[in-house]
Amino acid sequence: MVKKRVWSALFLAALLLLSACGTGSNNGKESTSPANGTNNESAGSTLKPAKLKIVLYGDESNRMKELSKAEFKDLIKKEINADIEFQFLPWTEYGGGKTDLMLSTGEDFATYTDTNYMVKSVAKGLYTDLTPFMDNAAGDMKKSIDDNSFTAFQLDGKQYAVPVGNKPNSGEFYSVLARQDLLEEVGMTGISSLAELEAFYDKVHAKHPELIGYASTDARKMLMYEYTDKNLFWQNDMLAIDEAAKDDKVISWFESEDFKAYAAIMRGWYQKGIIPKYAATNLPQLQSDWNSGKAMFWAGTAARPFEGAASITQAVPTAKLANYFLSKDFPKISRGTYSTAWFVSANAADPERYVMFFNLLQKNQELYDLFAYGIKDKDYTLDENGRLTRNTTDALIPDWLLMNKNFMRFDNTVPDDFIAQYKAWDDDAIISKGAGFNFDNTPVKNEETKINGVFSELLAPIASGFLDYDTYFPKALEKLKAAGFDKYMAEYQKQFSAWYAAKS
Amino acid sequence: MANQENRMLIVVFYACISLFALICLIPFVMAVSGSFSTEARLAAEGYSFLPRGFSLDTYAFMFGSKAEQILQAYLTSAIVTVLGTASAVLVTTAYAYVITVKGFRYRNFFAFMAYFTMLFSGGTLPWYILATKYYHLDNTLAGLFVPYLLNVFLMYLQANYFKSIPHEIIESAQIDGAGHIHIFFRIMLPLGQVGLVTISLFYALQFWNDFYLPLLLVSEERLYTIQYMMYNMMANIQYLASGNSAQIGGAIIAPPLETAKMAMTCLTVLPIAILYPFLQRYFVRGIIVGSVKG
Repeated sequence: MVKKRVWSALFLAALLLLSACGTGSNNGKESTSPANGTNNESAGSTLKPAKLKIVLYGDESNRMKELSKAEFKDLIKKEINADIEFQFLPWTEYGGGKTDLMLSTGEDFATYTDTNYMVKSVAKGLYTDLTPFMDNAAGDMKKSIDDNSFTAFQLDGKQYAVPVGNKPNSGEFYSVLARQDLLEEVGMTGISSLAELEAFYDKVHAKHPELIGYASTDARKMLMYEYTDKNLFWQNDMLAIDEAAKDDKVISWFESEDFKAYAAIMRGWYQKGIIPKYAATNLPQLQSDWNSGKAMFWAGTAARPFEGAASITQAVPTAKLANYFLSKDFPKISRGTYSTAWFVSANAADPERYVMFFNLLQKNQELYDLFAYGIKDKDYTLDENGRLTRNTTDALIPDWLLMNKNFMRFDNTVPDDFIAQYKAWDDDAIISKGAGFNFDNTPVKNEETKINGVFSELLAPIASGFLDYDTYFPKALEKLKAAGFDKYMAEYQKQFSAWYAAKS
Repeated sequence: MANQENRMLIVVFYACISLFALICLIPFVMAVSGSFSTEARLAAEGYSFLPRGFSLDTYAFMFGSKAEQILQAYLTSAIVTVLGTASAVLVTTAYAYVITVKGFRYRNFFAFMAYFTMLFSGGTLPWYILATKYYHLDNTLAGLFVPYLLNVFLMYLQANYFKSIPHEIIESAQIDGAGHIHIFFRIMLPLGQVGLVTISLFYALQFWNDFYLPLLLVSEERLYTIQYMMYNMMANIQYLASGNSAQIGGAIIAPPLETAKMAMTCLTVLPIAILYPFLQRYFVRGIIVGSVKG
């Protein structure tokens, strides 16, 4: 009896195992065979069929799932004769993790990148050089996106990635994004100096002691107008350049007097409670406080007043946001680009087709509407002024990714003057003199790792005001030097000067 | 006197254990209460032991928009756990038997081969290439458990149980004409039951809780496990909240709703929470089996 039972159980287990592996290998075949198996159905196209895989990060919404199997797929097939597949990965895999694995194992796909990740990956030969395809395949894109955005993703004159969109990006984080409703509540009209900003905090704090002041720990850009006469633009956490000076000098930010003055302000903020005490240990809490309307101000960008409003108004329906520059003496600085760009993996069979797809996303208003908002009158409606009402909250191809000021639509809640201001945001901006420069860290890789360690362990807490500058900075500086900062700085300066000279 | 002392001690122990249990329970209660709160009040007032503004909206929303995926993910998780545990136990015990058989010439070699992998591994990249390019485990159900079929630590655990079985029993079976397969299934497995129960539970828990294999090998949603769905959601929230997203175009992407997060947590934990009181009986029995035999 027992014997029978044991054998039948084992048989069942073996059967299950076999069937699992069986279906498994079938699926494996399924997913690889269409590459050479599919053929051309679209009569209009002269292109030979291709297969594209686009990796996106975040959650795939239900509507996106439907569209990517139907309308998106059909349209892309019709326009560029390509079979498209969208794969969604968790955000943790962006710029590393599985993305790295997929690149290193030579998979055929495209996704988006920033300059840091691009420099690293190009050094390993993981991106395709897209230069040969730019003229033919990216024509429409070049019309709706300015040239500087393209140069930012070139290395040695080769185009390794193409910008995903075109949105005003100058003066990013240089403004104070204030809760306008609170500002008005305490009888103020605007903020134009540090003193006014602190007065704003004091007044609101007296009325609403439960609110925190600043929902971040980094205010160096926003406060720049207060502690220095330079127009600083940061290349990374350590180094800055002065956009007001016409030279190629790289400034060591932490060693400067400006940093000392900045640290003093931040120390004051921390002690006063403008930056809450828990910020030192629980950084993510700050952003969630901001999102739930529990903070007074944040660092602003051109788009943040409307981009961020949705989540705040959920908790505080009356919330309004507005950008204020503490001083407007300096022109806004632009990196010359949207910080995100599409790249194609080195092993892609048909890189040109990928570029054609990127081009399609930014080709015209009609296609932009489709990819960002879905199908007209089903997923969204437009009123007579072209204002957008979405019928679904499902994100499609994320609209922040596609965002192009020439095509994007606003909903009814955004005032006209804001849209005008938004579209003209970059008009008086200057392009950073370092725009397009990408540092090759190979010669100082070890130093860079150590320096980053010193930065997060010792320097960041001083910069955020958690620790006192006079007491802790000398030791931090000593460690920074011991980590090889001078060598790193010299290498950076050398590369920057060479690049600068070649440019001018 | 001694009795009273004992009683005192028991009271103290109970107090300590209750306190500890309470501490463990708090986050769970908060998650459950959070999942039943309304989003606006949760955002404004934070977590509490009792739901703030009791509502079933979150669950209605989850099952309204994601019912199919959640059920599918549950099913996948269950299949992977059952199938994975059954096959992993089979492979592990078989390996354990092989390296404990007296008279098998290469058993030390095999023992070493297994042990070696505990100390050195090829790294993620070669593993990934092997799994995707050679074994084609990507986007397959097999990919969700085959890589974990042999856990060397558990294999040694089982081998030790086998070693504790007197060799004479095996010898007598051999005299009666039993072959290895017969000995393995009829003698070793029934006698090594204690170990079997232990490693089964370890495996089952490992398979239920795993999100790493789906993360690396699966891109089709029909193969998502419930843990991976959960991981995906959490990873996205954490990344967006950490401010790294500012690098990506300086965009603010509204993170998923807090209540939805909590509801998802409850859904993931639920089956284990329901099953555990029943499983626990076997778990405890498994451990004490044989403890009073001479």
